[in-house]
Amino acid sequence: MIMKQNYFRCGRRGLILLAISVMGAFTLQAQKVPINFNRFHGYTGTQAYLKKVAKAYPNITKLVTIGESTMGRKIQVLIISNRNTGTPLDRYVELRHPRGEVNNVPPMQTDQVKPGLWICASTHGNEFTGTEVCLYDIDKLVTGYGSDQEITDLIDHDVFYICPIVNPDGVFNSVERDIPQRYNSMKKDDDGDGKINEDGPDDLNGDGHITYFRYKNPKGNYIQDEVDPRIMIRIRKGTKTDRQRWSMIREDFDNDGDGKRGEDGEQGIDLNRNFPEGWFDDAGYQGGSGDYPTSAPETRALAEFFTNHHNILMAEFYHTSGGFTFRPMGSLSDNLMNPKDRAVYDFILGKKYVEMMGGDVPQAWLHPDSLDVYRKALEKSSKNSIAIKRGYEFPRLWRVSYDEINDKRYGFGLQADWAFKEFGTYALTTELWNYRKDLPGYTFEGKDAYTRFQRAAIRYQKDHYGGKYFLDWKPFKHPELGEGEIGGWLPQYGSNNAFPGEPLLKVCDTHWQYEKWRASLLPRIEVTQASGRVLEKAGPYRVIEVTAKVENKGKLATQLARGASLPGNRQDVVWLIGNRDKVTFLQGRAFQKIGTLEGTMKIPNQRTGKNKAEVKWIVKVKGNAPLKIVATSQKGGTVVKDVEIK
Amino acid sequence: MKTNRKNNIVKQVKKSPRVKRFMGVLVLILFVGGGLFQPVKAQSKLQTSPGRYHGEMDFPWSWKRYYPYSEWTQMMKDIAKKYPQLATTQSIGKSRMGRDQYLITITNKKTGDDLTKTAMWVDGAIHGNEVNGITCSLYLAWYLLTRYDYDAYVHNLVDQYTFYILPGLNVDANASYVEQPNTENNPREPYRPEDNDGDGLYDEDQTEDVDGDGELSYMFVEDPKGDLKLSPDKRRFISIGDEKDYPGLRFKRIGSEGYDNDGDGLINEDDIGGPDPNRNYPYGWKLSAGDPYPMSENCTRNAYEFMLHHPNIFASFHYHNIGRLIMFAAPQPVKTSGSQAQQMSSYGRRGGRMTTEQRLAQMRKENKYAQLFDRQVPREFQHDLSVQTDIVTMGARILKNYTPVFGGLLGQTLASAYNMLGAYAYLIELWGSPTFDADVNNDGRVSDKEYMDWIDIELTGEGWIKPHPVDHPDLGRVWIGGSGKKHVGRTPPARYIESEALRNTQFVLYCASQFPKVEVDDIDLTDLGDGLYWVDVTVKNDHTYPTASDRSKKLKRIKQDQLFFSTSKNIELVPLDPKLPIIDPYAGRSMRYFGYGGGSSSGGIKPGTGKEIKLWLNAKDKQTYRYLVRKKSGKGWIEIKIHSERGGDDQMRKEI
Repeated sequence: MIMKQNYFRCGRRGLILLAISVMGAFTLQAQKVPINFNRFHGYTGTQAYLKKVAKAYPNITKLVTIGESTMGRKIQVLIISNRNTGTPLDRYVELRHPRGEVNNVPPMQTDQVKPGLWICASTHGNEFTGTEVCLYDIDKLVTGYGSDQEITDLIDHDVFYICPIVNPDGVFNSVERDIPQRYNSMKKDDDGDGKINEDGPDDLNGDGHITYFRYKNPKGNYIQDEVDPRIMIRIRKGTKTDRQRWSMIREDFDNDGDGKRGEDGEQGIDLNRNFPEGWFDDAGYQGGSGDYPTSAPETRALAEFFTNHHNILMAEFYHTSGGFTFRPMGSLSDNLMNPKDRAVYDFILGKKYVEMMGGDVPQAWLHPDSLDVYRKALEKSSKNSIAIKRGYEFPRLWRVSYDEINDKRYGFGLQADWAFKEFGTYALTTELWNYRKDLPGYTFEGKDAYTRFQRAAIRYQKDHYGGKYFLDWKPFKHPELGEGEIGGWLPQYGSNNAFPGEPLLKVCDTHWQYEKWRASLLPRIEVTQASGRVLEKAGPYRVIEVTAKVENKGKLATQLARGASLPGNRQDVVWLIGNRDKVTFLQGRAFQKIGTLEGTMKIPNQRTGKNKAEVKWIVKVKGNAPLKIVATSQKGGTVVKDVEIK
Repeated sequence: MKTNRKNNIVKQVKKSPRVKRFMGVLVLILFVGGGLFQPVKAQSKLQTSPGRYHGEMDFPWSWKRYYPYSEWTQMMKDIAKKYPQLATTQSIGKSRMGRDQYLITITNKKTGDDLTKTAMWVDGAIHGNEVNGITCSLYLAWYLLTRYDYDAYVHNLVDQYTFYILPGLNVDANASYVEQPNTENNPREPYRPEDNDGDGLYDEDQTEDVDGDGELSYMFVEDPKGDLKLSPDKRRFISIGDEKDYPGLRFKRIGSEGYDNDGDGLINEDDIGGPDPNRNYPYGWKLSAGDPYPMSENCTRNAYEFMLHHPNIFASFHYHNIGRLIMFAAPQPVKTSGSQAQQMSSYGRRGGRMTTEQRLAQMRKENKYAQLFDRQVPREFQHDLSVQTDIVTMGARILKNYTPVFGGLLGQTLASAYNMLGAYAYLIELWGSPTFDADVNNDGRVSDKEYMDWIDIELTGEGWIKPHPVDHPDLGRVWIGGSGKKHVGRTPPARYIESEALRNTQFVLYCASQFPKVEVDDIDLTDLGDGLYWVDVTVKNDHTYPTASDRSKKLKRIKQDQLFFSTSKNIELVPLDPKLPIIDPYAGRSMRYFGYGGGSSSGGIKPGTGKEIKLWLNAKDKQTYRYLVRKKSGKGWIEIKIHSERGGDDQMRKEI
């Protein structure tokens, strides 16, 4: 009954989805590289798609390999930006008498001088829903260019860095080999027996899939679902039951004869614990994973890419599941967060996210000027001292992973913490797919929600995919464990990843809309005036006062609160450029620093800063030598304008 | 084990042919380059007299200059070819600019693979300009290899231990520093592009040799209001001081030699070089010091990865310039309140109520090199501090005027080597500004006069750039000079290379000689009648290093030492309780052994609880285990074996 009600309640949403699918079908015709989301692309499919897209759209995309996994698979980023727009500063500044002994500085690329948005997925190999979202984003961007004005504008002025698979080995094993692998494949002797990767899962019955083996065991942790005995329900340790107990393991032999199964597979380390920020524990010992921060090739590839792309202001790290977003920090208390960054995160980014996900926006976010009132109310109702200080508790959809009640960090070496704190980006970790809500026509609540989801999901895959994602249990005699049955979910389905088809499309589209909106917030530098006034003439020379007015017409500031002071980041800069033999600077250096330009958006509870700057020079110019203004902001773009001399 | 080693020595000795007179060969080899690959020809082997020949001319290298990258790496390959049974030269990876980072591994391959032996790591010149580290590292390799056949001390070390030597870590900057005109301070960092002046461009305004004399000095412009003038000897720019109306030529200092490459009105404001490589290691890494991320540079990452995958590295040396310092890795102090800190600095039992300084002064009456450090560390790390104190005391003696100090954290190599790998680590600041030689009036500093005298007398006038006028495209007429040349201040002038290298080699070798060595010292039987015997087994480590550092124990990088007890069939071991004390009226206080700083701190004899006992042998530690056995009949034997991952093996057998 409840289910039926939900179905009707979801009716309107269903219609919208239908509309999206129809639109999708329409755009299909415009696709040079067709893509559908009826299956997971995995590593192989993603590689093939990226290659095709890069070939089909050479003017707006570039595929770069930023690293190689342990097993030799490529980590790739698709750069989406108009390759003919952008103003690399190094093309305008003439260098004389260079030492030239070492050629260590590569020429600037046009994408590096535009505001950037980074999206990546599958840092955890078994959380590959995000890979599909990335591919969806790519499809929307490349097909929208030229036809959709908003998208065209973004691709002309900004850059999207999309890395669908951070952890290629993990994804390959999870999708292509049926072996869910959260970690990368760094060589590791998990069981300390001197051998490496000698005992992973096996396809016991040779049906081409690694599913599950279940067998009756009075000490087992599973019972069968009463409604659908194909479903195994995990029971907690120590729970008493009169019903038949079962054990369930992945299809697996004891390959090395040590009495254990699957104790040393290919899995290496957790990449989302291998980043530098907060990797050590308080006593100076290893907290995160790996031998040292960035020890994994995948982590280093990202670290190196970010280092060479300080134009990135927005970053998204897709994970699964739960259907919510963690914003930083997970390893530090929110008390240490700069109030301005917090305001942008929660009042701007968080508010929109919660709205788009259909959640209730906290009252405090709707009325941030009344934060004191909410703070006082919280003092009475909340045990969370950090929330009281902040003025609000987080909604389920938008939160930090830091344990605020116990004032304890969630983990060590987290990627979003690192991208925020060490690079100055608005980094997010979004946990895609909420099984409770995202199966079209259903919501599941309460204690046995997961079991009820599975019942529905089995029906769903039968209706939509001919039942090929859930294998019926078939008897099998395990050489070590005896009689039992093999079957159950193919490990890609029925748990922490979105179902392909409509459920996946819904996840993709919601998050594409959100990231597109985020891209619309990027700063955008413009030179609104570049003029010269002749003060004096002296022989062949003119003394000219040059004025440049620079404005950030984008919504957000060109750096985060402390962004410009981070190593590798810098202030916005305005250059006056002319022929060095003909132009002499009398007042004002050739480049002048103008700090960080604020955006046009009002940030609640924050002082409104200036989004404009005016810079002056007095120069002596021989003849009619032309002058140019180049305004360059790391995360706000670089633009050039000729100086008009009156 | 022991006998094996002796056999090997004999074999080695037999292999090399004898040669009659060595003077002739010396001259021959000196002038004939092709002589390098001739078989070893020398007078005799395993010398005991310090005045005799020690193999230097078997493979002569000049220690009178700094080598460019191509030469010193070729030398590493050549010497490995010359001594293939002792040395291997390999690349551990490529630098940012694609240079190979060559490492030489030295050990007697016949006594075991390098990984099976306790090892010493030595690297140099992580800072590109500190190329003295290259010569010191090369000297160590050369010393070990050429002397192997002639020096019993070296011979034993090379048989027992492994030396991993990476002479130049930061090879890109090393190459530039030696081969190109540079000041003594540059280039220092790996070549990651960096925007030092925040103008949006990277490494765009470097130093240049404006006058083309092959040296990088300083530039001055003539300025009637300048605050400098030429010194009377016209070699330096000095302050005009109170002479406000000085009538002669006056100057203003511009800075290092170079051009305004990018036309922004500044000179050399964005020189080459990225993060400080010695702030780039993981432990204590800070974004502000070691950006952009830990181990971001190929050269540091390759070196650290090698160390990481060679857990046999027990101690490590990292050569820098300058300052004549022995910076050693030490445990972090405990956090204490003020009153506790006061208590700490007084030595209650041993030295009355003396402060550290007073206690040290007293110690130095007996040994002028004595060291004592005012630092309270957690008890679990106390032994490491004691060990390091002993080692650097010897370092101060061997290196003479070097000062031991605590090493820093902040992403420095030695901090990671100790705190993350558990190795006893030392950062040596080689050489010093010529304080030692030039400070004639002994006031602890070198005045301009003393410095110039040192140039004139010790360097016989070499190494000084006289100010001279030059036309500069951006500045017009400038004066360049008034400074020392490249290899004068920071890296020692060529004539001092060998003296610096020799002492440092001796210190490294001393440390290797103190690697832990476990021994079964004694098996002592006491007949209790009726076939019952007490068997007292004493094991020891006489060396200054323990079998594992406190830190490596905490990191679980080293397995515990194992003591094995075996007997003939007719003897039975009666297991004792590990917690109960042993009752022995004859063993009074005299039976108690104390390892210093730890060991059997509970004192006395420990119960022999079974056939395998796990233990840690500390530095200069002796421990006695008492077993109870019953002999059923006739004659029998007891055999004791001790195995230590880093301290080797030993065994002893006793008949009953």
